[in-house]
Amino acid sequence: MQAPIADPVRSTHASIPGPGPVLKVENLAVAYKVRGGEIEAVHEASFEIYRGESHGIVGESGCGKSTVAWAIVNFLGPNGYVKRGSITFLGQELVGKSEEELRRLRGDQIAMVFQDPMQALNPSLRIGDQMTEVLTVHRGISREEAEARCLQMLERVYMPDPANVLRRYPHQLSGGQQQRVVIAMALLNNPALLIMDEPTTALDVTVEAAVLDLIAELQRDFDTAIMFITHNLGVVARICDKVGVMYAGEMVERGTVEAIFARPQHPYTQGLLRCVPRLGMNKAESILYPIRGRVPPPNARPFGCVFAPRCDYARERCLQEKPRLRPVATGVGESVSEVRCHFAEEIDPGRWRPTLDMELPMAAATSPASPDTGEALLRIEGLRKYYRVQGNTLRDVLGLGEKRYVKAVEDVSLSVPKGITLGIVGESGCGKTTLVKTIIGLEEPSEGKMHFLGFDISNGIDKRDVRLIQELQMVFQNPDATMNPAYTVGQQIARPMLRFKTVSKQQVREEVIRLLKAMRLDASYYDRLPRQLSGGEKQRVGIARALASRPDLILCDEPVSALDVSVQAAILNLLLEVQRQFGTTLIFIAHDLSVVRFFSDYVAVMYLGQIVEIGPAEAIYAPPYHPYTEALLSAVPIPDPKAQQKRIRLEGTVPSALNPPGGCRFHTRCPRRHLLPDGGRICETETPPWRDAGQGHRIFCHLPLAILRTLDPVLTTPSHEA
Amino acid sequence: MLVNDCMTRHPILVSSTLPAAEAQRIMVEHHIRHLPVVGEGKRLLGLVTRQSLTIKPDTLASLNVWEISRFLATMTVERVMVKADQVITITPDRTAERAARIMTEHKIGCLVVVEDTRNLIVVGIVTETDLLAAFQEMLGLPTAGVRVTMRIPNRKGEFAKIASVVAAQRWGIVGVASYPARRIPDRYDVVLKITEVGPEEVQRVLQQIPDQELIDIRTVA
Repeated sequence: MQAPIADPVRSTHASIPGPGPVLKVENLAVAYKVRGGEIEAVHEASFEIYRGESHGIVGESGCGKSTVAWAIVNFLGPNGYVKRGSITFLGQELVGKSEEELRRLRGDQIAMVFQDPMQALNPSLRIGDQMTEVLTVHRGISREEAEARCLQMLERVYMPDPANVLRRYPHQLSGGQQQRVVIAMALLNNPALLIMDEPTTALDVTVEAAVLDLIAELQRDFDTAIMFITHNLGVVARICDKVGVMYAGEMVERGTVEAIFARPQHPYTQGLLRCVPRLGMNKAESILYPIRGRVPPPNARPFGCVFAPRCDYARERCLQEKPRLRPVATGVGESVSEVRCHFAEEIDPGRWRPTLDMELPMAAATSPASPDTGEALLRIEGLRKYYRVQGNTLRDVLGLGEKRYVKAVEDVSLSVPKGITLGIVGESGCGKTTLVKTIIGLEEPSEGKMHFLGFDISNGIDKRDVRLIQELQMVFQNPDATMNPAYTVGQQIARPMLRFKTVSKQQVREEVIRLLKAMRLDASYYDRLPRQLSGGEKQRVGIARALASRPDLILCDEPVSALDVSVQAAILNLLLEVQRQFGTTLIFIAHDLSVVRFFSDYVAVMYLGQIVEIGPAEAIYAPPYHPYTEALLSAVPIPDPKAQQKRIRLEGTVPSALNPPGGCRFHTRCPRRHLLPDGGRICETETPPWRDAGQGHRIFCHLPLAILRTLDPVLTTPSHEA
Repeated sequence: MLVNDCMTRHPILVSSTLPAAEAQRIMVEHHIRHLPVVGEGKRLLGLVTRQSLTIKPDTLASLNVWEISRFLATMTVERVMVKADQVITITPDRTAERAARIMTEHKIGCLVVVEDTRNLIVVGIVTETDLLAAFQEMLGLPTAGVRVTMRIPNRKGEFAKIASVVAAQRWGIVGVASYPARRIPDRYDVVLKITEVGPEEVQRVLQQIPDQELIDIRTVA
């Protein structure tokens, strides 16, 4: 048909893909038309993705990460449009093409996976019908054949019992399974480009780890180019080859993962890396440095460098002149990062010192007492919380059926000494929140004793003394949902003061402003409404409100998980400061093990309503571990591409609390059972003993400590030893 | 090596309504010589090669400049492509040498890789360049090492001699190939690429194999 021609440009090196990039975005600007003008959400973004490569896009919320993705798939909505620049997909320009042309061009070659899998699945169709539709509609494949292909693909994404899953509805699957279905569906057409927008953010760490493993494997097998949008630097370090850092609608730095993490060149990237706690960091030895200020809204971006107002190195030139994205040698191998900074070569992050106006907690040098000794502020013994489940059968309705209970909290005993922080970790559905709700009195315990300051608080909240209620306060995960949108900040914080009469009526305003100041908010916030605050500010008000009654114990239910990393660092610092200043005891729930390690003195690991391991934070994060803790630790994404992490993945999901497994509740998923004689039959039948590893560190496991001690540490990082 | 392992996945695909001039631009810009043309669901409709873009003079009414530009402007990929029933395809589960055989037999530069032989769903493309890249890999490029050629008699157990010597020395082999020796009957040439050892040592050891002849040795990077 044709004669071969000499082609000197195409590389013959086998590992370098010959053809150009799958996706090339150049100087992209995206704007939304609004009343009275337009808002430029993305100002300048450039990057390219090759076959089999995964390219991360990171940045705080509101930086335009998702807008770039939507521009690629033309999801911008009626008022959004690509203002400048070009998007080239497999050699063909996407900008300026008609809807029909675009559809044909992209066809089924670009697939997208979103954060919430439930939104991508049709709740009224069986999984099998939704999946086969992809093949039967586009390709005219027969139904039987399509079903066989879907089954194959579900097996490929390690879906347990795939044939059965095809017959189920989306709501009958767990979050991790739903996300697997979405990924399988995205891959059915063998797309050249897969755009993933925070695909694991809504998942538990253990599930997240499994899904990330899966993505990495599929990328290798299918040679798919992946654009991976996330705010989690740990996830980026684990699966991406290249990273682009976005700030206020601009790509500010771009390079290989190794270079970005080892030698970040842009002050913003350096700041981001300083504000994430790394596993192995604790509050006594290290400090998180939040980035001051916040991302400017698109219509109020500064004229010069967009980061200048928050930058510690900003000079006159930064305010006058917009920096260009330019290559800078990183010193990591021969790699070159592209950086949008005038002074990248002059900035040495090693010589960075926090500025005076930064919110930093004073070093807390107090060594807390052991949870078993010392003066216990809160003591819980044998706490159980069961929820009665109403069946649907006639027998159940008449009350004749067997009574069934969800055993949300089962036999929890712990004591919290004054002035310490107890962290509680575990997968979702393991009873963390129920435990805290029971302590604060929102739920009445089914059994067990709770003593707070020596008073019995085992009864419901209506039977508690006002003084006791005052001493126990809570900070919630979602500050939006816990604030009355019609009340001003001042009113919200004043309410508990008036209710508990902690200060006289004349002094309330003064006291509120004092608290606001302690939260680093000035007096002008007194009259603001919640909707006029950013997420971080709302959470500050939430903490101020919890502090208003001057409580002895504050229960924090995931107080930072809904916030950006830079804000998260500031809130954590604030909580540390509060604890130091007011001597408050904290119980801190989080699913991020790095944050818990950083923040807590003691850590309790919960599984299916039980505490399986409890002890000082540093002891929990080093052997001996409970096998469950070990698995959790190996799942945490570490923001360091060089970190060596043992790979332990838990099978399946947390069993139903309605009918928990007998013996050790973890035996169905335990990866270490085989270390016991007889394949660990004892785990199925007998409740494990508490093994005492000293210093108040206790492990709830059949495996003797001698064996648990021999397990290798999960993490070995260069920075860990340093 | 199977076609699945040496093909280019996610090749640039075009639709049949694309102007031929645009197809020409894509091919030049990306330094490629073949463009599969696909319809809904990546079903193969045809193939555009550089040859199909050469215009035969007899299709033009005259050599008038205006005539030519009008002709080019209206020409779509559909009109110039090789139709699907004439495009030679292969499935990913065939061997790389079979792909090479088909290409030499038909004297063509590329095979379109399809998954479903009835619906012809394009999953990749194998070109001469892909096969040449595979060829390099089989002979151990780009790893540095000693490349040695042994001439051995055509009988059973001769290769095993080489293998056992290499095994005794604990050398690593990154590439192997063998072919009938040129113009010498009953002899085979075996090419080995051995890493992390010097050429002198390889020569000293391999020369001692009885009935075999070391005919070429060189260090390649």
